[in-house]
Amino acid sequence: MGLVLVGLMAACGTDDNSARLGARRPATVPGSADAAVISGAGATFPATLVQEWIKHYRALAPGVTINYQPIGSGAGIQQLTARTVDFAGSDVPLKPSEVEATGGPGAVVQVPWTAGGVAVEYNLPGVEDLRLSPPVLAGVFAGRITRWNDPAIRADNPATSLPSSGIQVVHRSDGSGTTQVFTDYLTAVAPDVWSFPSGKDWPPGTAGTGAKGSDGVTAAVKQSMGAIGYAEPSFPKQAGLGIARVRNATGRFVGPTAAAVSAALASATVTPEGTLSLNFTPVSPEAYPISSASYLMFYRSMPDPTEEIALRHFAAWALTDGQELAEGLDYAPLPESIQNAALAAVRL
Amino acid sequence: MSAPVATPEAPPGLPAIPAGAHAGDRLFHGVTTAVAVAVLVVLLVMTAFLLTRAWPAVRTAGFDFLTEREWFPDAVPARFGIAALVWGTVLTSVLALAVAVPVALGSALYVTEYAPPAVGRWIGYLVDVLAAVPSVVYGLWGLLFLVPRMVPLQQFLADHLGFIPFFHNPDDIFGKSVFAVSVVLALMVLPIVAAVSREVFRQVPNDLREAALALGATRWEMVRTAVLPPSRSGVIGAVILGLGRALGETIAVALVLAATFDVNLRILRPGGNTIAANIATKFGEAGAMGRSALIASGLVLFAITLAATVAARGVIRRTARAVTGRP
Amino acid sequence: MSSPPIGMLRSGRLSAPRAVAAAGAGVALTAVAFWLTPMQGRADFLVVAYLAATAAYLLAAARLEGRRSVVDRLAAVMMVTTVGTCLLALGSVLVYTAVRGVKALDWYFLTHSMNGVGPRDDAGGAYHSIVGTLEQVLLATLMAVPSGLLVAVYLAEYGRGRLATLVRAVVDVMVGIPSIVAGLFIYAFWVLGLDRGFSGFAAAMALAILMLPIVVRSAEEMIKLVPAALREAAYALGIPRWRAILRVVLPTASAGITTGVMLAVARVTGETAPLLLTAFGFDSIQNDPFSGPQSSLPLFVFGQASSAFSNAVDRAWAGALTLIVVVLLLTVAARLVTRRNRLA
Repeated sequence: MGLVLVGLMAACGTDDNSARLGARRPATVPGSADAAVISGAGATFPATLVQEWIKHYRALAPGVTINYQPIGSGAGIQQLTARTVDFAGSDVPLKPSEVEATGGPGAVVQVPWTAGGVAVEYNLPGVEDLRLSPPVLAGVFAGRITRWNDPAIRADNPATSLPSSGIQVVHRSDGSGTTQVFTDYLTAVAPDVWSFPSGKDWPPGTAGTGAKGSDGVTAAVKQSMGAIGYAEPSFPKQAGLGIARVRNATGRFVGPTAAAVSAALASATVTPEGTLSLNFTPVSPEAYPISSASYLMFYRSMPDPTEEIALRHFAAWALTDGQELAEGLDYAPLPESIQNAALAAVRL
Repeated sequence: MSAPVATPEAPPGLPAIPAGAHAGDRLFHGVTTAVAVAVLVVLLVMTAFLLTRAWPAVRTAGFDFLTEREWFPDAVPARFGIAALVWGTVLTSVLALAVAVPVALGSALYVTEYAPPAVGRWIGYLVDVLAAVPSVVYGLWGLLFLVPRMVPLQQFLADHLGFIPFFHNPDDIFGKSVFAVSVVLALMVLPIVAAVSREVFRQVPNDLREAALALGATRWEMVRTAVLPPSRSGVIGAVILGLGRALGETIAVALVLAATFDVNLRILRPGGNTIAANIATKFGEAGAMGRSALIASGLVLFAITLAATVAARGVIRRTARAVTGRP
Repeated sequence: MSSPPIGMLRSGRLSAPRAVAAAGAGVALTAVAFWLTPMQGRADFLVVAYLAATAAYLLAAARLEGRRSVVDRLAAVMMVTTVGTCLLALGSVLVYTAVRGVKALDWYFLTHSMNGVGPRDDAGGAYHSIVGTLEQVLLATLMAVPSGLLVAVYLAEYGRGRLATLVRAVVDVMVGIPSIVAGLFIYAFWVLGLDRGFSGFAAAMALAILMLPIVVRSAEEMIKLVPAALREAAYALGIPRWRAILRVVLPTASAGITTGVMLAVARVTGETAPLLLTAFGFDSIQNDPFSGPQSSLPLFVFGQASSAFSNAVDRAWAGALTLIVVVLLLTVAARLVTRRNRLA
């Protein structure tokens, strides 16, 4: 009986969610005629945009099926090294040891394909605009500043009335590129307050509680009043949380808007490998300091040429037309110089 | 364990059973024995796999496995241990029982001793239904319904009972604390303890109740003198069943508790962790050493549950002796 | 509330109207206090009013009755309180889940997977996890019930000696296995050890570990309840023992055994923890339980629950409601079967 039931259900269920997800009108792109199944895995940071790209690209190139599993930058690179995926997404470029493991310099193409800020999100009803300078931000996340009405926070926000409640810090409990960028930033701008190691794992001995993924951190911040955390801007925005403005090198308090991230990335330098070396003290007064790029990685010569062509077509589309989708999802379009370098690396 | 009712091998003198029947009997006996042995063997093999998988982590961490609080098994060098996890597991479970047991016993007694039979039966049905509600539902409900509504209560406890170290909360933040998760666990344990102890109270012979009432006891005196003493070992069994569920509960804790790796008594502070919840949250991204470490921590959880069961057996045996006067 | 205590002929008795009046006075006093003092809040009022009403009721009783009677009344009040707490708290689990769950629970939800749906999209459903849960529970039942029945027959009919003691001890230990440890068993043995990867079948094995002891225990109890006379009548007719077991003992115990099986099925249907380590979860429809990760309803709820986005949370509630309905149907069915049980 159970089997019959399963059979019945199998007849009436579907994987096709396009009706509610609103697929776009087809147009023609260079890859329209491709036919391939491409699988990728890696960073969660670009996942929202990548999935949006996949959704749109499916309408443009019906023969191409692309899967992207957001399992974290580290795991994505591992899978790429083991060649169990066709491409990987990562928030940080390959380390020298990883370059060796993938077959030496040049074996893997790594190009930035989108950029974004790491937003500082908070849950303080009534406080619309929170401004934080780097030492205060570091002090909060290091556990040195524990109340919202601490004189240091008040000094940054002279016009705002802040509650006396405690600060609940929420950080990532899983290894994450977002944590890497955030702790790199704290180390760079407030070394005397932030004396902890930076890396993909949140360092012990600091303040707060952990939550899994950007979604989990945002949910935890949303669930407790007086909480503060960090995630891609799209999360706090759609969850209705406040986003702090952070003081940049020129002394202005700036939020993680697309324009501010693009301005910050203009200060980054492009390495000969095509990757970016970030600058957390960008010179532009419009720049949001905690900005980074996210990378697409794939092997220069893939075993199946049709897959490689389809992937390169998809990447070229993502780097051109696809960039227009970025801002709507709170990512930043790549600055033109970086975009052109990336396109050159991706095109056949 | 009571002796089986089944008759043993046919005693001499009974009519001879046909020869073919003996063969069939032997075959049937053989099959059932074989299945029983197979279950043992499968479990043994699985345990062996579990132990081999856990060994690398235990060997790497050494003694630190018991004393270290942090959990970075895949870092270089690896740094991990179960101190904070064991502490959180035991603390949440004990608190959950402290909340759940009085309420469970009270409602079980109400159902068996106070309520009109029809009312008692319906409450019994409802409690049984609630015992069947999946833990993930309790977790979801705890996270989104109960915890936000418990913030004022936690604030109240901290404001007025803060002089007790348990309720002291210097951070002044309230929410996903050990206290909150213990209340959610208590609600999960409550129907189980209530259902089992209800059955235990039902087993008490009515003669005892009637004798007590005939001697002029009030209803409460009847409960105290006639119902509770013979139920003691059964009630302990019910409590241990609840403890087992609380110790091993994974999803509700993973959803409700904000994860930290601390060892302290500040039950109102957000944060804490348990072995089971840590396995659920760390499993997805664990590397080779991480998986080994999680398996090792799972074995510790198993050992704790086993120890609780064995200890309860001992207590039950002793109280049974004390009540019946027999060894 | 309770019958009159015997042996207190000299003392008076608090009549029902007076008891109500006393309790009412307590509530009225609270209302006045909340009006005059800075005390406020609906929950606070309910708690204080309840305490005041109880105190007034007991004081009134103390004026008329002896100490023993007041203690009796206090005990009765406390028990009603515990039952009230219990039903209120637990009833709200069902009611709140139902209210939140119906919002997203529709035909679309039941017939669509989560393929390509992000946490913030208003799309997708639980179809893939319903398929997973059905297949996993069915496979677990197919594994646990026959073997559990045979072990129960072994223990009840032949169970003497060291082997039986060992089997009984192991079944006792299995009852206490935390469900996540059952998942670890299969994870270490099947997923990693034999390198078979995550699958619905692996999940079914973990669930079978949890079902087996419940089935063995309940079946053994039921078999032992079969009257010896029935069995002996069969022997007297010259029926060999194995046929007597299969044709007389098991059919007589069948209703009780079925109840045990259904309760075991209900219990494992809601299990989440072991599935994390064995089925792992999957966004698309996976009809084949033997290859690759599969979803299940509890995993679906867990996955959607820890999201910051209301669309995902709505899906979590709808999944929770679906799960509760499935489990409760099984539990109620088990009860109905018990009702026609000839033994218990």
